[in-house]
Amino acid sequence: MPNAAAASARAVQRDDLAGYGFLLPWLLGFLLLTLGPVAASFYLSLTDYSGLSAPNWVGIENYTRIATDDPRFVTALTVTFTFVLLSVPLKLIFALGVAVALNKGLTGLSFFRAVFYLPSLIGGSVAIAVLWRQVFAGDGLLNQALHALFGYEGPSWIANPSTSLYTLVLLAVWQFGSSMIIFLAGLRQIPQDIYEAASIDGAQPVRQFFKITLPLLTPVIFFNAVIQTIDAFKAFTSAFVISDGTGGPIDSTLFYTLYLYQEAFTNFRFGYASALAWILVLIIAAFTALSFLSARYWVHYDD
Amino acid sequence: MVASSLRPDSEIFHSTSLIPQAPTFDAYRRGWNGLSVGFSQLFLNSLLISMLVVIGNVMSCAMAAYAFTRLRFRGRGFWFAMMLGTLMLPQHAVLIPQYIMFLKLGWVNTILPLTIPKFLAVDAFFVFLMVQFFRGIPRELDEAAVMDGCGPLRIFLKVILPLSTPVLATAAVFSFIWTWDDFFAPLIYLNDIEKYTAQLGLRTFVDSAGQSDWGALFAMSTLTVLPIFILFLMFQRLLIEGIATTGMKR
Repeated sequence: MPNAAAASARAVQRDDLAGYGFLLPWLLGFLLLTLGPVAASFYLSLTDYSGLSAPNWVGIENYTRIATDDPRFVTALTVTFTFVLLSVPLKLIFALGVAVALNKGLTGLSFFRAVFYLPSLIGGSVAIAVLWRQVFAGDGLLNQALHALFGYEGPSWIANPSTSLYTLVLLAVWQFGSSMIIFLAGLRQIPQDIYEAASIDGAQPVRQFFKITLPLLTPVIFFNAVIQTIDAFKAFTSAFVISDGTGGPIDSTLFYTLYLYQEAFTNFRFGYASALAWILVLIIAAFTALSFLSARYWVHYDD
Repeated sequence: MVASSLRPDSEIFHSTSLIPQAPTFDAYRRGWNGLSVGFSQLFLNSLLISMLVVIGNVMSCAMAAYAFTRLRFRGRGFWFAMMLGTLMLPQHAVLIPQYIMFLKLGWVNTILPLTIPKFLAVDAFFVFLMVQFFRGIPRELDEAAVMDGCGPLRIFLKVILPLSTPVLATAAVFSFIWTWDDFFAPLIYLNDIEKYTAQLGLRTFVDSAGQSDWGALFAMSTLTVLPIFILFLMFQRLLIEGIATTGMKR
């Protein structure tokens, strides 16, 4: 049946054509905007490229300077880690608490779900950073409230290097809505009869929470933790707007991404900034890998 | 808290109650004209960029997802693995070369770097989302369409897309909101104030108005959040379900 074979060969060929036709936009994007730039970025990190003259090969000099002779890198790293280690757990605890509460009292669930989710949706915008700046300013709402309630004269929280970072942590925690919604979806998956059985056995709500809810929710907790950690490492807008792009006062809010931005687009040290970018990529990859390794010991999947 | 603190426009009542005693739109007028270009220009810029991104994302991501789920071609598995790989790659790894490339192309200070990549399905997340959805559409429908003599293009347009409005709408709404809210990309790619997006304008406004005119600042902050708020009210269920089932960030 040579005809049929030829026809099926033609059919395969036509599908190849259609396949690549439909894939073309993505393929172009992948090659030109992802693969090419990834390679270029790695190459640039080994040069002292400034954008003006041709890239000048310096080997691993950028990396050694970052590791041994760059106090602002150390500061940026400290600031970012502090931010991640404080904001992510607090946000998750908050999100879980609210989700459990909402899951219990079902009246007005969709309303409260929406109310709590909205900050997450608008939280990345400049407007919210502006609002935050005002609330924590010397003459801001917080201090006015403190004064009215306790007669306490508060400092300018954002202008004080020992408190400025914590105002940003607070802003991040306030945006707990999307984690909360994922928790809510997870809570819905837990079969009610487990709780009923536990009640019959005399388990109190607190015990039920720690013995049933929490273990069964670990996959969702894990998912939220990984997503939020990656996101927290990339935080930028709030710190930029609140500190006028400086990362100040005295580098107390110099997020890693902000430092990267300054090196690349203010100082035009593209080579150095590329090295910084790669270190960030590696840190995020390492954190993700570590989470997946640790997951074996605390995440329970029912199978 | 946001809404109430945004409301007091008349500065004199700065510290008293949360509800303004004499509401006035004066701050809006001051804010609207507070920059050398009116905010209307910046809103139009934001709107144009966001709309283009929505169109680009939905079109190109749907095409890629269709190829991955419905068409058999050589190398499909390989490219699909590559697509999944890009999901995990942080933007920082490609940021600087992309900037240099757009600079060399003369695209910096235009909206091209902010929109053209979206027509090339760079938001792998949406591709992935659509792949998941398309997989749920019964294959029998395609086969029936083939019997009726439809080619891949007609199956895509007449069978898959009409059945996929929920996922397309989710991608569209999230594309719009994220682009509207985006600060970083406009910050590096746009230089002239008349090309600014509303977010950039607001930032500039903070610096020029400084501490002096909180009323106008809040008025403009409110306006930049308003489109998102409206979209949220319209598509609340869609957005919340999108988050709950896929774990989209923000």
